[in-house]
Amino acid sequence: MTLAILNWLSGFTALRAFSSAMGMIAGGFLILLLLVAFFAPWITPFDVAAQNLANANAAPGWPHIMGTDEFGRDVFSRVVYGARTSLSVSATAIGISVSVGMLLGAAAGYFGGMFERIVMTVVDLTWSFPDILIALIFVAIIGPGLTSTTFAIAIAYLAQFTRLTRAQIVRLKNETFVEATINLGATPAHVVLRHLLPNALAPVIVVGMLAVGDGIVLEATLGFFGLGAQPPTPSWGAMMSSGTAQLFIAPWVIIYPGVAVAITVIAVNLFGDELVRALDIRDRVRS
Amino acid sequence: MRHLKKLRLLSSSALLSAGILAMGFSSIAMAGKATVALPSGELGATSYDPIRSSKLNTATSLIYDRLVEQDADQSFHPHLATSWTESPDGMSWTFKLRDGVKFHDGEVFNADTIASWIPDFKDTENAYLVAAIKSVEVIDPLTVKFVMERPEPNLLYNLASTFMGVPGQKSYDSLGKDYGVSTAVGTGPFKLTSFEIGLETVVTRNDDYAWASGLSVNQGAAHLESVTFREIPDQSTAFLELKTGGIDLLLGVPTDFLSILKAEQNVGVITMAGTGISYMPINTTAAPFDDIKVRHATALAINQKSILDSVYKGIGSEANHFLIDTLPAGDVKKELLVSFDSAKANTLLDEAGWAMGDGGVRMKDGKPLQVTLFTKNDSDLKRLTQVVQAQLKDVGMDAVITVFDSSTIRDEYKKNAHQLAVRNYDWNNADILEWFFSGTRVGYPNVSMWTDEKSEMLKDTAMTKSTTSAERVANFKAYHEYILSQHLFAPLYQPAQNIAFNKDTVTVPEKVRGPRFRSQTFVDIDVVK
Repeated sequence: MTLAILNWLSGFTALRAFSSAMGMIAGGFLILLLLVAFFAPWITPFDVAAQNLANANAAPGWPHIMGTDEFGRDVFSRVVYGARTSLSVSATAIGISVSVGMLLGAAAGYFGGMFERIVMTVVDLTWSFPDILIALIFVAIIGPGLTSTTFAIAIAYLAQFTRLTRAQIVRLKNETFVEATINLGATPAHVVLRHLLPNALAPVIVVGMLAVGDGIVLEATLGFFGLGAQPPTPSWGAMMSSGTAQLFIAPWVIIYPGVAVAITVIAVNLFGDELVRALDIRDRVRS
Repeated sequence: MRHLKKLRLLSSSALLSAGILAMGFSSIAMAGKATVALPSGELGATSYDPIRSSKLNTATSLIYDRLVEQDADQSFHPHLATSWTESPDGMSWTFKLRDGVKFHDGEVFNADTIASWIPDFKDTENAYLVAAIKSVEVIDPLTVKFVMERPEPNLLYNLASTFMGVPGQKSYDSLGKDYGVSTAVGTGPFKLTSFEIGLETVVTRNDDYAWASGLSVNQGAAHLESVTFREIPDQSTAFLELKTGGIDLLLGVPTDFLSILKAEQNVGVITMAGTGISYMPINTTAAPFDDIKVRHATALAINQKSILDSVYKGIGSEANHFLIDTLPAGDVKKELLVSFDSAKANTLLDEAGWAMGDGGVRMKDGKPLQVTLFTKNDSDLKRLTQVVQAQLKDVGMDAVITVFDSSTIRDEYKKNAHQLAVRNYDWNNADILEWFFSGTRVGYPNVSMWTDEKSEMLKDTAMTKSTTSAERVANFKAYHEYILSQHLFAPLYQPAQNIAFNKDTVTVPEKVRGPRFRSQTFVDIDVVK
């Protein structure tokens, strides 16, 4: 499997996404954001949790370039750490979704029959609800927090990847090279892992990439409702939520995280689009 | 060209809709109607049944009248009862009732109403209000006598409570458990017209009303034709609606918004003394808080002055014990008052074996001093909780916040899943001590999970063994002092009540009568003509 991914990458077709201006800007921004999130402790000038009530709701200026919030905490530091929360929750959640969804979808597509019908019925059932509703129900059951948010987002997007993978597998299953492999005596595991999944990988990864953008929005939404990261952990959604109460006093508390969410999601989507074009898989990314 | 046309079309339609909106807003008050946003603590009442409901809002006080009314200075005044006498031994009370009072459905109010109403409280959550009354005797159609089980110096307070608004007996008996949702019949200045749970309640004027209490200037029917009470959970939305004219009166303005509201030309602001406090209950059964030294240190870690000055901009007052300042039972021994002393808090934690570790968190037996801190999903409480979290951190306690909605958090308390919590209450009587610390209410409302023999004894004495008001005060003071000595909570803040109104649409009496902004004041509100 690892070998297959390396093979796939060795064509460097994915890197062609950077060839257009749009892809370069969006991709460049995402790489920058990843670096910011990773090096957050070195970038932030202030402790994200340190309160200074005497300096609450200070307007942007020096040394607080994005101002301070209702507790006198530095908004810039919190936006930077918020990137960490948003990206890690969203990426982990979508990672879980992709892995579980691919396994389920591949098994359903390959084996067919009763197993496929059961899996697809359950998947279609969750597919018929809006993502946010599924996530909300899940968080309401197991309680708020970052871990439950991660799992909630993973479950909300599971259906998408299961369906997508299954569609790819069903299509590939009847190709001559697969039939040949089966006739040569390969086990189902060998066929699925070595031949089917690697060929189904590209569209799933692209859709996964786009889903990370949706995941960031979903994480922000749950955070806004107070169900995501619990204070004082910074998260863009939670920052916006507490910012609504300060909208008329300190608008910067809500504006900066809002802008951060918007730009990140736009960048993810634009880069995802470029990736689709570069890999030439437009007709395959539909589930 | 086509672009221009489109633009013009757009702008004219925007103007038109703005005009319609403006017309809509100004017509609200012009037609004698007023829209009121309920304070956040009153949101979510599910019924207007004063007997069975455990949560009532301001609109309830407009639908029902009470026998007795309480003023802001805690004094009592006649309403449906014109006078009363208590026997010298406290074992009976005789009330003279007002003549000519009718319920909204035409039923006549008299002594029989009272005799049928009091027993309805049996086996309800509000039964404590009438627990001291053994029986009600009808002397004549306008005189009733309460024969007492024991003397009850708090009887007048109970009778003035919103929960003792008198419902129409015919309607109450015939509707049973459905009473209060679609139908609520009282003798009050307004009738219930519609009620959508969690959204809004509309009440319309009772034109026959001629029995207002002496606390109101207007003794006839209310000036307003109807009042719409809206439940707006988000404080900034409510504030914005007041600014734009969507509502005329905002009960419970968050202190953050006061400075902005005061700067508005068309907004009037009234600040009155509060009727509750914010506090942090400490779960006495959950380690490390089973150690009284840790509890004491936790209470001393809270900086009330900093909370008042920085979070609430100096509006309201510091809370140093469990009761509001106007209650005499709050006048406890000085050494029992809780106020910030970080040096002593640190010493106590050291003594309890919690030594300061790396990263500013105390350790004992290799375990960090990490505790849970619960709160409700309410912007004001969440903010207060984060300040408390930072103050606890200063003495080396790492409090992890979890935010719950209001029904889930009660389940968590009942499951004993909590350690610390940030809460508030709204009640202007010393018997609130019994509600939050009684051994019979462990879990919720006794979030401190406090059971103690001496405490129960003092509670019983205060609740049931006082014969006079002075004795009751002394007994509650003793109970209060014992509660304070056991460090079951940390007082945080004593809020003020802020009310804002749109000066362009309504006039509000300058002096608010009653401990809260309720019925007595509503009948005096008029629209700007």
